[in-house]
Amino acid sequence: MNIEATQFEKAILLKVSGRMDAENAGEFDKACELWISQGAKHLIADLADLQYVSSMGLRSFLAAAQRLRSLSGSLILCGLKGLPRQVFEMTKLDSLFPIYETAQQALAAL
Amino acid sequence: MGSPFERLTLPARVESVRAFHRFVRSGAEAVGLDLADMDKLDLVLEEILINIARYAYEDGAGDVQVAYSTEAGSLLVEVTDQGRSFNPLDAAPPDLALGLADRPIGGLGVLLVRQIVGLLSYRRQGNQNILSFRFPGPGPITP
Repeated sequence: MNIEATQFEKAILLKVSGRMDAENAGEFDKACELWISQGAKHLIADLADLQYVSSMGLRSFLAAAQRLRSLSGSLILCGLKGLPRQVFEMTKLDSLFPIYETAQQALAAL
Repeated sequence: MGSPFERLTLPARVESVRAFHRFVRSGAEAVGLDLADMDKLDLVLEEILINIARYAYEDGAGDVQVAYSTEAGSLLVEVTDQGRSFNPLDAAPPDLALGLADRPIGGLGVLLVRQIVGLLSYRRQGNQNILSFRFPGPGPITP
């Protein structure tokens, strides 16, 4: 898994690519914590190049979203497709996150 | 009739999951699964193995074995541990109707397994927990 962060005026865009599993999901937690500790209110996770996510990854998305919500912020998802999209749908987590097709659309909605 | 079982035994730890993925891939390739199905199989295995790594052994140390047999385009997979008696199918399903603030973190792994393979069977044999499933399975069973 690779996480690439880009700072925008209203949000941090985290481009998550590759495979997010039990062994590396903690890296996403750390990236979110880092940006939240620096005052970020809104994080956008661009998952267009995410090939695989297991329930440990889902925990990370859920934890970050709950943390941001408690700070009046949000975790926004975009680019969901393939197996990750199916995993979000099977667990009905897709109804808990704002989801956009592209990062541009997510940024424009803030 | 399926092929003889191929078997791999490793410590029941998070760090073993990727080695099990590589091991089962050779069987998945042999029966001609496409890449999307291989990822789904990886997911099912990861969820089962993580459950065992977390809950099977009280002192946290023990082994888990993955075995597979190939048969007519599908794999029969068995996951065996010697931990305490634990049937993951008995776990109460998470409440998917809860909102973001109340949704518990966790409990989604078994749900994913059931959604993907449909039919999963558990048996306690001596001091062993044995979970088995066919992949591709019969498909999701409405929870």
